[in-house]
Amino acid sequence: MSVPETRDSGQELPLPWDDTAQELYEHAPCGYLTTLPDGTVVNVNETFLSWTGYGRADLVGRKRLRDLLGVGSLIYYETHVAPLLRMQGEVREIALDVRCATGRRMPTLVNATLNYDADGAERVIRVTVFDATERRRYEAELLQARRTAEESERRVRVLQQVVADLAAVPTASGVARAVVAAAGPAFGAADGGLWVVDGDRKQLVLAAAAAHAGFRDVALSAAGAAATVVRRGEPVVLAGAAKLRTELPEWAPALLRQGRQGALLVPLTAHEAVLGVLVCTFTEAHAVSDSELQLARLLGQQAGQALDRARLYDEVRLREERAVFLGEVSRDLDGVTGLAERARLLAEMVVRGVAAYAQVRLAGEAEVLAEAGEPAATGTDIELPLTVRGAVAATLTLRPHGGLPVPDPAFLAELADRAAPALENARLYEREREVARTLQRSLLAGEPPGDLRFTVEACYRPAGGGLEVGGDWHDAFLITPDRLAVVVGDVVGRGLHAASTMGQLRSAVRALAAAEAGPARLVEQLDRFVDRVETARMATVAYAEIALDTGTMTYCCAGHPPPLLLPAHADPETLWEGRSAPLGSRAGRRSRAEATVRLVTGDRVLLYTDGLVERRDRHLDEGLDRLAAMFATRRRSPMKGLTARIADAMLMGGEPPDDDVCLLCVSLGTEPRLERTIPADPYRIKAVRTDLKGWLEFRGVDEDSADALLLALSEAVANAIEHGYRDCADGTVTVTATQLGDEVILRVADKGTWREPRPDDPARGRGLFLIGKLTDQMEINTDGGTTVTMRRQVAGG
Amino acid sequence: MADSVTLARFGSVDVVRMVGEVDMSTVPGIERTVVPPLRSATAAVVDLTAVGFLDSAGVRLLDTLVGDLERREARVALVVPPVGEVRMALQLCAFREDLLQPDLTAARAAVAG
Repeated sequence: MSVPETRDSGQELPLPWDDTAQELYEHAPCGYLTTLPDGTVVNVNETFLSWTGYGRADLVGRKRLRDLLGVGSLIYYETHVAPLLRMQGEVREIALDVRCATGRRMPTLVNATLNYDADGAERVIRVTVFDATERRRYEAELLQARRTAEESERRVRVLQQVVADLAAVPTASGVARAVVAAAGPAFGAADGGLWVVDGDRKQLVLAAAAAHAGFRDVALSAAGAAATVVRRGEPVVLAGAAKLRTELPEWAPALLRQGRQGALLVPLTAHEAVLGVLVCTFTEAHAVSDSELQLARLLGQQAGQALDRARLYDEVRLREERAVFLGEVSRDLDGVTGLAERARLLAEMVVRGVAAYAQVRLAGEAEVLAEAGEPAATGTDIELPLTVRGAVAATLTLRPHGGLPVPDPAFLAELADRAAPALENARLYEREREVARTLQRSLLAGEPPGDLRFTVEACYRPAGGGLEVGGDWHDAFLITPDRLAVVVGDVVGRGLHAASTMGQLRSAVRALAAAEAGPARLVEQLDRFVDRVETARMATVAYAEIALDTGTMTYCCAGHPPPLLLPAHADPETLWEGRSAPLGSRAGRRSRAEATVRLVTGDRVLLYTDGLVERRDRHLDEGLDRLAAMFATRRRSPMKGLTARIADAMLMGGEPPDDDVCLLCVSLGTEPRLERTIPADPYRIKAVRTDLKGWLEFRGVDEDSADALLLALSEAVANAIEHGYRDCADGTVTVTATQLGDEVILRVADKGTWREPRPDDPARGRGLFLIGKLTDQMEINTDGGTTVTMRRQVAGG
Repeated sequence: MADSVTLARFGSVDVVRMVGEVDMSTVPGIERTVVPPLRSATAAVVDLTAVGFLDSAGVRLLDTLVGDLERREARVALVVPPVGEVRMALQLCAFREDLLQPDLTAARAAVAG
């Protein structure tokens, strides 16, 4: 064959060499197989033999097509390819793995046709086999690429979910939980724990853990992966038990016990700083891909930012809570008066707000003023000095709840700043109140003048509810030996000012009374005094002078409730005369009136302040009526303790008085019954003797009887003191004298131990002997102390 | 009824109306409310018809108000019902009868120039 000179389309191109059909068959670029309809190989080309490594003799007549296929391909062939071939007469591009002589599987693509003879019976199957090794690799690569893409997408979804979760939790602890929860889906971890950097303690401490509870904190200075992650801010992968042991020495024993073989440590970063480490642990030595590492970094950044934000949020919230708390402390402490009450409230509030236990002590006092909470609570006490004007006034000790953060110093300082003045003010207030009370007591404490021609009884009831002292006062004094002045007054207002003003007025009344100008003039002069003392303006006063020789009482009421007269033998009478305006009044009548009333022996006059009759739930005139009735029923009641009993009866049943109450009762003439209680002191016998002498004189008892009774009394009192209280220095002796018809009865009672007089005690024996001589009858009762009762018939009386 | 005080003006007359309890606890507030406006009054009526309780601090306040007004030669009257707590308290304190009027009409007439 020669190379053609010319070309002609449609004409077959002559080949430069002989290429017989046989040769084309044997060396075609694909394998050829011809089989019988049952698959038995009858012909095979050289290409197939060289690909598979079989010899022609191995195959022809000995193997069927199915014998050359791998297991998976064989099933496919039997179930799909062969039926399809019979049905359609041909199959195309069937992927089958051919088992080579060496055992290697060759991926192929197979086309096959079924030939029929003239009768239409299956005659032969022609099969072409193409080598698909490269194509399969490409397909595998495509598949792998798709899987990688899917995995990447899944991670993005995990990350998105975590970011969403993180955004939804406002608190640091919530962030920690969300991050730990992401460890499984993001990396296939068995569990995880979040460790946060505690900058103060230079440690990694556990914030949230699925399985890390009880793991030790890790010092940031320690060797190992945990500290390294914090320093470098890069994830670290630890695969295998050996790595865990060397890189996580603190946790490895526990991790290995839990069957962990690998770990991934992810730094939580925000603003270039590492806030914590997410520790994911794996049950196998987990190889972490680059994309997983990338995901870890992203997760770390997201979680770090969320943690940072949540911490800010927590801090803001804590600050808000603390600000509200501090506001409440100031407000509520102001709401109570009294040092002890404020201290107790402070302790209670601290326990409600920030501590398990709190106590308050005053500076320089060991005693706890107030405490609250659980005294057995464990924890470290914080001693908070409460300073006022540079001096420590008190100490607040608080014990924070275990496990909760310790209140920060700025908060504690503010708490102290608020609590200190509240406590100090309460202390000053109480001290001032105490001073006012002391002043008031000292001013009211004066003994009423001792005189048998009259009896004065007074009492003072401070307002309830721990209010400051008021400016009520009472006084009784002799202007001249025969002229008694009694006064009850009321200064407007409360506290130290009122108490000291009361003192000034009281002194002024005493001083002005000495001029003997009478009540109306005295009050006029008080007006002039009050014009100079503004705090005394509108003070009210009831003032009376009683001429003891005539029984004439002149009285004057300057804006004060009217005196109440209880005649010995008539109904009570309200003394409405002699009225004028309060001291220094501008709207009232300043012309001072006075009125006169005649008193006889046994008459009683009651002066009182408005607190006794004035109550919100009752009309004033009702109060006056009630007082009159109350007074009338006590006509025969002993003077001793009378005013206190009236006050009790008038104030009973209602709310505690919201005003001070002050009463003074004067009784003209001697007491029907003399009663004196004296300390068991021989020097006090004389005073009792004097009183009894006056009492007997007043009753007109004859001189002999009086002398006898006085001596008998002295002996009996001396006996009580010397013998009854032999073993006891602070007993009392009570003497009473009463008259029944022409008999005077003396009683001397002590609470000591009675001793039968012994023959060798002549003094005592003589005492009893004397009493026997001096009186008509003597009884000694030794039931619970000793009472000696002596009776004597008297002339006169 | 809430304790309160209201101020009104009828012609040249300032009317202060006190309501409820006038006592140590309410007097400071009432004083702050009424004293400044009354500084320029030429005629004033203090209506105590609705006062249920008047204590010494309240009496002192009224006394101060009356004293201040009269020192400036302003006319003043108090509306006090003929019977009741308030009249009794004021009588106890011997308020001048010419200051006390039984009702608002009488009081306005009393202070009218």
